[in-house]
Amino acid sequence: MSEYKWRYGLFLGCVIPNRYPMIERSIRDVFEELDAELLDLPGASCCPAPGVFRAFHIPTWLVIAARNISIAEELGVNPITGCNGCYGTLRDAWFDLEHNPEEKKHIQTILAKVGRTYKGNLEPKHIVQALYLDMGLNYLRDRIKYKFNDLKVGVHYGCHIVKPSDKRPWDGEYENPTFLDEIVELTGAKSIPYKDKFMCCGAGGAVRTAVKEVAADFTREKLTNMRDVGVDIIINCCPFCHLQLDLGQVEVNNFYKDIIGEPFKIPVIYITQLLGLAMGMDPNRLGLMKNHELTGVSPFTSIEPFLNLVKEQL
Amino acid sequence: MTESKNEIKVTGKEEPKIGVYVCHCGINIAGVVDVVALKDYALTLPNVVLAREYKFMCSDNGQSLIKEDIEAGLINRVVVAACSPRMHEPTFRLVCKEAGLNQFLFNQANIREHATWVNMKDPEGAYEIAKDHIRMAVGKARKLLPLEVQKVSVEPSCLIIGGGIAGMNAAIDLSNEGYKVYLVERTPTIGGHMAQLDKTFPTMDCSACIITPRMVDVARAKNVEILTYSEVVEVDGYVGNFDVTIMKKPHYVDQEKCTACGACVESCPIVCGNEFDLGMATRKAIYIPFPQAVPGEYTIDMDHCIQCGICARPDVCEPDAIRYDDKPEYLKVKVGTIIIATGWDLYDPTELKQYGFGRYPNVITGLQMERLLSSFGPVLGKPVRPSDIKAPHSIAFLQCVGSRNFKEGGHTYCSRVCCMYATKQARQYKEKHPEADIYIFYMDIRAFGKGYEEFYESAQREYGINYIRGRIAEVYEGKENCIVIRAEDTILRKLIEIEVDMLVLSCGLEARADSDKISSLLSVQRSADGFFMEAHPKLRPVDTLTDGIFVAGVAQGPKDIPDTVAQAKGAASGAAALMAQGEVEIEPYFSVVIEHLCSGCRSCQSLCPFGAIDFDEFKKIAVVNPAKCKGCGTCVSACPSGAMIQNHFANLQLNEIINVAVKKSTIENGGK
Amino acid sequence: MSDNVEKYIKRKVYKSTSSDIAQKFVDAGLEQMRACINCGTCTGSCPSGRRTAYRTRVAIRKALTGDVSVLQDIDIWLCSTCYYCYERCPRNIPVTDMIIKLRNIAVEEGYILDSHFGLANNIFYATGHGVPCNAENQKQWRDLRESYGLPALPPTVHSYPEAVKECQTLMNEVGFKDLMDNAAKLKEERKAAAEKAEAEKKAKEEEKS
Repeated sequence: MSEYKWRYGLFLGCVIPNRYPMIERSIRDVFEELDAELLDLPGASCCPAPGVFRAFHIPTWLVIAARNISIAEELGVNPITGCNGCYGTLRDAWFDLEHNPEEKKHIQTILAKVGRTYKGNLEPKHIVQALYLDMGLNYLRDRIKYKFNDLKVGVHYGCHIVKPSDKRPWDGEYENPTFLDEIVELTGAKSIPYKDKFMCCGAGGAVRTAVKEVAADFTREKLTNMRDVGVDIIINCCPFCHLQLDLGQVEVNNFYKDIIGEPFKIPVIYITQLLGLAMGMDPNRLGLMKNHELTGVSPFTSIEPFLNLVKEQL
Repeated sequence: MTESKNEIKVTGKEEPKIGVYVCHCGINIAGVVDVVALKDYALTLPNVVLAREYKFMCSDNGQSLIKEDIEAGLINRVVVAACSPRMHEPTFRLVCKEAGLNQFLFNQANIREHATWVNMKDPEGAYEIAKDHIRMAVGKARKLLPLEVQKVSVEPSCLIIGGGIAGMNAAIDLSNEGYKVYLVERTPTIGGHMAQLDKTFPTMDCSACIITPRMVDVARAKNVEILTYSEVVEVDGYVGNFDVTIMKKPHYVDQEKCTACGACVESCPIVCGNEFDLGMATRKAIYIPFPQAVPGEYTIDMDHCIQCGICARPDVCEPDAIRYDDKPEYLKVKVGTIIIATGWDLYDPTELKQYGFGRYPNVITGLQMERLLSSFGPVLGKPVRPSDIKAPHSIAFLQCVGSRNFKEGGHTYCSRVCCMYATKQARQYKEKHPEADIYIFYMDIRAFGKGYEEFYESAQREYGINYIRGRIAEVYEGKENCIVIRAEDTILRKLIEIEVDMLVLSCGLEARADSDKISSLLSVQRSADGFFMEAHPKLRPVDTLTDGIFVAGVAQGPKDIPDTVAQAKGAASGAAALMAQGEVEIEPYFSVVIEHLCSGCRSCQSLCPFGAIDFDEFKKIAVVNPAKCKGCGTCVSACPSGAMIQNHFANLQLNEIINVAVKKSTIENGGK
Repeated sequence: MSDNVEKYIKRKVYKSTSSDIAQKFVDAGLEQMRACINCGTCTGSCPSGRRTAYRTRVAIRKALTGDVSVLQDIDIWLCSTCYYCYERCPRNIPVTDMIIKLRNIAVEEGYILDSHFGLANNIFYATGHGVPCNAENQKQWRDLRESYGLPALPPTVHSYPEAVKECQTLMNEVGFKDLMDNAAKLKEERKAAAEKAEAEKKAKEEEKS
């Protein structure tokens, strides 16, 4: 074994690798810096997405989720994900199977048909759970090299990292969690309270796929509330929220231009990107620099203002 | 109770002559099994000399059947195969006693609850099980021995724990009936929560006005010894003979010398929160809880007192009544009965973060609102918003806070009084501020009592209070600390988001936080909801399962003042009935030591959960106190020498039951 | 005269309030739904309800009283599964799980949006990803990955075609393909019926004029 202190199986899901690879880059490199090994899970599929596929057919959702967990079990590691949706699926599926032995046996029988075993002894984790509970704030604090002196952050938790609270590791807290704010404030940034801070971004539950405008109205409300208190950037821990707040921001500026006043231009940043900067890492390793000439790709809302603040303050 | 002229002497050495009576119980038993066949089966069992079947054995005719057979000398043991002994064992025992047979030579086989009722779809199975029960009951009857009930005397005095409206009422009634009462109250004054209320529904009587005369009555009552600022620390004994130790907490003020002039309060430099006003007003470290306190005694709160010595100075306390070196005093009393009247705590809504209690200043509890409305409260009866001390133009009430909650750890019960107290508070505020907008957010309005529905109707029609059917989902703070409420008007399917100046959470009632201490002190059980458990929810609401101990008021479950007073009077009556008889019968299921087998190892003594076993230092053997022994059987199984016998459940009886059950012995197969 | 009849006469009195839908929930072990006392906490907490016609409590009530419109309307698909209703329900009903189950029943009966159907049947089933990047017209996403030093295709099903087959086998095993085929069939039938009714209505109107 190398000098790694923790080992996880990185469950990528869909949005991180296929639409926001900069998030993947920052997660891999930040965890490397923190002495945590991230193994690849070969052949992992869509988790499957809780809002769409669980809504269509629960048995499908359960068996595909169990299959993904079994890939991590084969490598003997806890599956870890940077996406609230994947976390919701893997964790809820794992929890439900652990509490329903008949269902678990049934799933094991089906998986056996493709030569897979499912034990359920390795709990699925979120990268923020690993940062906050496995590594702890003190461990992270020791690795902070630079601190912001005036960065106002609107922290967006999303929904599935805290709810359903009986299946999450946060002691039942869901009205007012603070763990993500605490990690953000390690970097010297200030987490600014804003109206309806814990409200959903609108993407999940198949809403974005069903009617984009409805999802965009959720986002409009969140962006308005954040702009009203003057945040510089938005920090999140879910690529679907990230997408909804980023690409969704452009959609809001389009669909709702009549009621929002000035168009929104708040940079949307993923938690490991911010943390990595404070740890003194090269922005290239965090997916913050644009080294291509592609069009029609993420980020859709410019992060230039944030990069300027980084240059000034760090 | 007539004693029979011919009392049948039974020594246990004569041949048992068992009579078996199989009851039809209407169709409950006869509808599933063939009772005549069961009767015939009984006749095949060893020592059964006669068997009968009858429609309802518990009826007068049924009872006569048994009585006649005993009086004719045909039988000296009785087995009735019918319902559960919990229903009619006392009935049949009495029949035996009246016919001249010792009542403990009776045994009941439960072929209803244990056979026919649980196997209604399987009559053959039910029949087999009924046969088993009859055979086992007959087996035990063969080995039964006569026993005598014990009688113990009852002290004509009562300990009442809790000096609120329940405790006070019970105390007055018992005192009037001539019994001595020890009224123990843990705070420095009697009065309880009712003293904190402003007006009471539905009559709008001023609570202080109706309770203070009662408080004075209690103080003047001939036979009541009020022990305020005291707690019960030990209870030993059994019904009629409880040995109680009461700790009188030190006031640090000599009550004989104190003239209640109040100079000490003026001079005290320590200001702290006032529990009576729920933290909305202050008091000093030396204080009297409220002006009308009974007894009017001053107390120093040592958790806050810094012993600066100012109040003790001769120019402050002229009578020299301050005693920093005061110590607790212990009082030992003997009482015959105990009444638990410990009342309630208000649910603390801090954990319901979506309502902002503790974070937003203008969210308060119903009891805090009560103090704001009170004419001797922190704002002398003119409620204001905590944030800016201005009268609110709009108030919202939320019902069912902390009650009717089926989440893990929540109180599932309805607290019964909150619908009415919110309506009352809303009316009171409207009387002072007719132009104010008042909303009550509810799931159901429970206005069940006398005059309650009319009170609610008047609140709507006359006072214009807005009742919105929808439980508040969440609140947030708006401009100037106003509270913005999000809810659904479920009747109109409309989502509403309204601003109010103040939100009152109608919190429910919960059992006292230290109820478990009382529970273990007195060996009384609590129900799943945390309140003390009554002996029977319908028929014995103020008795507990521990003989001699009663419960009254909200200590038994949430209720309003009329029901509390009714229960207090009921508990007093129950206690008085016991004390009036002067003695009480105890069932003889206690254990007995076979002296020559006892080796004096004392295992039984350490294991007895009721402390019923003493050790005779002279004879060096264990001795059982029959009155304390509850017949649990722990000592019997623990005794390594087999020196303990349990009356009515002795090994020889239990072995017989097991033998006949397994071997299915009848006369045909030789009874083996 | 007949215009007023059409405008004002609505003989809408429900003859039955029993529910097959409720029975499906009980059979699935979700009988907690019957404990609903309609307090409205779920609706009051719902961020979607604030901007759409979706009313959480009403959806549950419709399911309990057998109103099949709850399966046909789009309302239950506007729930973003934020779980606030689930957390705050005083009767401890897992409300979000109820809505998900209603969606399952709706899909069984062929009520699924075209966009969702396409996502499930064509994208998810075919590639194993809900949001893939291996199609011809998705090269920019693969290039974006490479610009960050990552392999063009992630080590997921995209790099392991046998894994895709494995997922499809599993999905066939639990009946996903059958469900989709059935939904497609029912949608076709309803579409044809609707077109026929539209044509008949047009013909009648042309006849009048």
